[in-house]
Amino acid sequence: MNRKLGAVALVGASAVVLAGCAGGGTPNDTPEAAELRVWLVGTDTPQEARDYLVKTFEEDNPGSTLVIEEQQWTGLVDKLTTSLSSNDSPDIVEMGNTQAPAFTSSGALLSLSDIEDQLGGSDLLPGFVQAGSWDDTLYAAPYYSGSRVVFYNTAMYEQAGVAVPTTLDEYVSNGVALATALPGVSGVYFPGKDWYNALPFIWENGGEIAVQGSDGTWEAQLSSPESQAGLAQVQELMTKASLAPKDGDEAEGWVPFRTEQSATYSAPSWAYWSIIADEDQAATPVADITGYFALPGMDGGAAQVFAGGSNVGISAKSQNPELAKSALEIMLSDEYQTILAGAGLVPAKVSLGDKVAAATPELAAVIAEAAANAKLTPASPNWADVEAQGIMQDLFVNIANGGDIATLAADADAKITDILNG
Amino acid sequence: MTTVTAPAASASPETAGPDAREQSPRRRRFPWAPLALLTPALIMLVVFIGWPLVQLLVMSFQEFGRAQIFGAPPGFVGLDNYVAVLTDAEFWAVLARSIALCIVSVVATMVLGILVAVLLTKLGAVMRTAVSVALLLAWAMPALTATIVWGWIFDTQYGLVNWVLTRVTGTDWTGHSWLIDPVSFYAVAAIIITWGAVPFVAFTAYAGFTQVPDEVMEAASLDGASGFARFRLIVVPYVRSILLVLLILQIIWDLRVFAQIYALQSIGGVRAETNTIGVYIYSVSMASGDLGAGGAISVILVAILLLISGYWIRTMLRQEEQS
Amino acid sequence: MNARPRRRSARILLNLAALVVIAFSVFPVYWMVNTSLLPASAVRSAEPHWWPDQFTLSNYQTALGDEGLLTALGNSVAVTAITLVAALVFAFLAALAVSRYRFRSRRSFIIAILVVQMIPAEAMIISVFRMLDGWYLINTIIGLSFVYIAFVLPFTIWTLRGFVAGVPVELEEAAMIDGCSRAGAFWRVTFPLLAPGLIATGVFAFIQAWNEFVFALVIMTRPESLTLPIWLRAFVQATKATDWAVVMAASTIMAIPVIVFFLLVNRRMTGGLVAGAVKG
Repeated sequence: MNRKLGAVALVGASAVVLAGCAGGGTPNDTPEAAELRVWLVGTDTPQEARDYLVKTFEEDNPGSTLVIEEQQWTGLVDKLTTSLSSNDSPDIVEMGNTQAPAFTSSGALLSLSDIEDQLGGSDLLPGFVQAGSWDDTLYAAPYYSGSRVVFYNTAMYEQAGVAVPTTLDEYVSNGVALATALPGVSGVYFPGKDWYNALPFIWENGGEIAVQGSDGTWEAQLSSPESQAGLAQVQELMTKASLAPKDGDEAEGWVPFRTEQSATYSAPSWAYWSIIADEDQAATPVADITGYFALPGMDGGAAQVFAGGSNVGISAKSQNPELAKSALEIMLSDEYQTILAGAGLVPAKVSLGDKVAAATPELAAVIAEAAANAKLTPASPNWADVEAQGIMQDLFVNIANGGDIATLAADADAKITDILNG
Repeated sequence: MTTVTAPAASASPETAGPDAREQSPRRRRFPWAPLALLTPALIMLVVFIGWPLVQLLVMSFQEFGRAQIFGAPPGFVGLDNYVAVLTDAEFWAVLARSIALCIVSVVATMVLGILVAVLLTKLGAVMRTAVSVALLLAWAMPALTATIVWGWIFDTQYGLVNWVLTRVTGTDWTGHSWLIDPVSFYAVAAIIITWGAVPFVAFTAYAGFTQVPDEVMEAASLDGASGFARFRLIVVPYVRSILLVLLILQIIWDLRVFAQIYALQSIGGVRAETNTIGVYIYSVSMASGDLGAGGAISVILVAILLLISGYWIRTMLRQEEQS
Repeated sequence: MNARPRRRSARILLNLAALVVIAFSVFPVYWMVNTSLLPASAVRSAEPHWWPDQFTLSNYQTALGDEGLLTALGNSVAVTAITLVAALVFAFLAALAVSRYRFRSRRSFIIAILVVQMIPAEAMIISVFRMLDGWYLINTIIGLSFVYIAFVLPFTIWTLRGFVAGVPVELEEAAMIDGCSRAGAFWRVTFPLLAPGLIATGVFAFIQAWNEFVFALVIMTRPESLTLPIWLRAFVQATKATDWAVVMAASTIMAIPVIVFFLLVNRRMTGGLVAGAVKG
């Protein structure tokens, strides 16, 4: 037994020594020729932008190459946690705006304060800058934003005798009216896990998910009277207007809409393409009768909707920080961001907002209207944990099941406050 | 293979315990042969599991979060993580659910697995190959893909089960969610887990059955023993060690189960009500980045597993000494 | 255990039972292949397509046309081969040591490898990652193989130990009385009886390494080092709308080598039966 302990100790000691030896590489300060690794997530960034990035980078930095490595959204936080801390870290990483605080606060990213102005300074989307900053330093710059649009079946609306709603209350009552008038059809398709679409109701009623006090502690406020009013509206839609699965998620929600089983459907603007054509590029029955509007606010105008989107940052362990900064400047340049806008994304710079393209100019206007009113989740580094544990999804699945709002909200609040305050 | 225990084992009296054997003159020599045989495995285990395990233990006594992964120094908090976990009602709920699921899955897997193994011994060559191939197909499917497909079979809107039930019972089952009720969720999970685990139990048990020498079986049938008596009195003792191994392993794996539950949760159900301990640990360690708590829960889990399987392990070891 | 029933009715019943087992085992696999041969629009529809009535090979074309496939396939084959061979060899040696010899720390070793299997792998991801990273083994085939070997070893040692223990030493002694040397007795008597056990354990190790996802996700991060499960995962989110039909086609492609491997070794498994009857 003693011999074995000795052997274990020896191996253990050598492991410690080896682990300590490695990982102490100093980053290059002069931009020598190197290969820059950029992680882009999902398919949002169009091919044209990617080509532009590679071409421009290699022109500006002769001898260096830029390679884009494709990543997926699932498991991204885990992958970033391990990769950003490793010796083989990528140089530039894209991450969801709700995930950014987890990494800005833990020292995973390089400070961008010295190039903040070149990236856009005060022209950058404020909500995203807040999500990407920690201790007043910018670590993850805004990359692009999405926006949500409400699609509706014009024929069904006519049949049920409802018009495009101008206030949020009308939107709710319309949904119920549509479901009553058209049996077997969802007035508004609202699956239980679709918490992104539930947030506007909370915000428009004056509620908040959580607020941070002056002493830095977070307090979840889903059980405030205002928030509960919003939750009640959500419950009405989910139980009376929607035939979606109570525990379903928002993925592929366009299928019921395009097969004429739902009259209204709120989704990111790019869902338009999946609505008018199916996977085999054949036109769907609703291709010509799809209309759209921005979710109306309590008092008319556009509601505050959840802003999906990404931030982009440089790994603190990047071997080529100067090259990475050069590439980041390209990604936030007007030319690059305009290409993103041309693909239907909302660019990271406010001044380029009018360049957002869409299938039709009306859709573009709706997108711009919604984007201008976009809001984010609490900018706490622990918010990623709230998402990872599915607390918001669980809350709304239970609401969709007809549970008591006050109790459910209080439960969720307790959990969220606990997590946000570490 | 020069140092030999076999002659020593048969030569020394049956009543002598292991210690007596080890003190015989032969044993005082340093056991080079077994150590040499063990060395490659030992190195792999110590380096790639031992060392991370030590780190896990250390982290369980520290405050170790995402900031520490990126270089901040961890703070020593003693037993705080353990206390926090043991006083957390959610932990006990998760544990209770996991144990319940484990019991159901293990019983189902072992019973079905052994039955299928017996079936394999009695089939003709063609059918045996067919069943083997079918079992292997089930076994080869990755847990993730299997869960997705089973999820479709039980899908709320388009699932096959709902479709069949609608036609068979006359009431419309479309839209019935099999995952939203935790008990129903676990029933589906148990089906998926058992389906994936039976092939392994069946193959291994079958391999064990084939080890029973034929002469012994023939001698017993000549003596007039019935099929079931033959099975119980002759086959089972021969394969008992293997069956015990399978049982212990199934208990460990089914209590720790992760992939199927995790994938099923993303298809439906309420996460907080369906977490098992494997998913809970993943959620705490990776998703929340709280490695200190994750480490504490892991240690507690190992302790619990030892408690549960302790009886079987002791039986197995005792059986070893006797053989 | 060759007692095959001679009565017809028993035989029919058994074959019926066999068919039930086959149906239950194969159905999800059948469903996977069925879906892979249907066009995407037919996958999630109110009326299930029980067979590929809208047959198409386009999903396979998409999956096979993916440029990452060959690289991922090569990586998976390499990692799995190394894991399989090393794990079987190491485990077999260790199982021999633990079953056939009595030495002082034997019991502790047995309990240790059992306890090791109780540790949830999910909790060790970060520690293992940091260790490999320190040795610059991230994104290397050998690094991932080391991890797989280590995680598969406890189980394979444990199971092989059971098999070795199940072969009575008296058989070897009988062979030695008949004139075999010790090593000869081992190879001609004991080893053939162990063959089924080695194969079952080998297939297990193969499947574990082939399908493993969590560690591969964090250790192999560069596109050129991906293994098949990670490559497959990329299809699930390649486009905004998951093309499940293509995912199923890719899954089927991924499952083929496992099946081929088994069909190759299956004969040795039944061969063990024969060897069992013809021992000296």
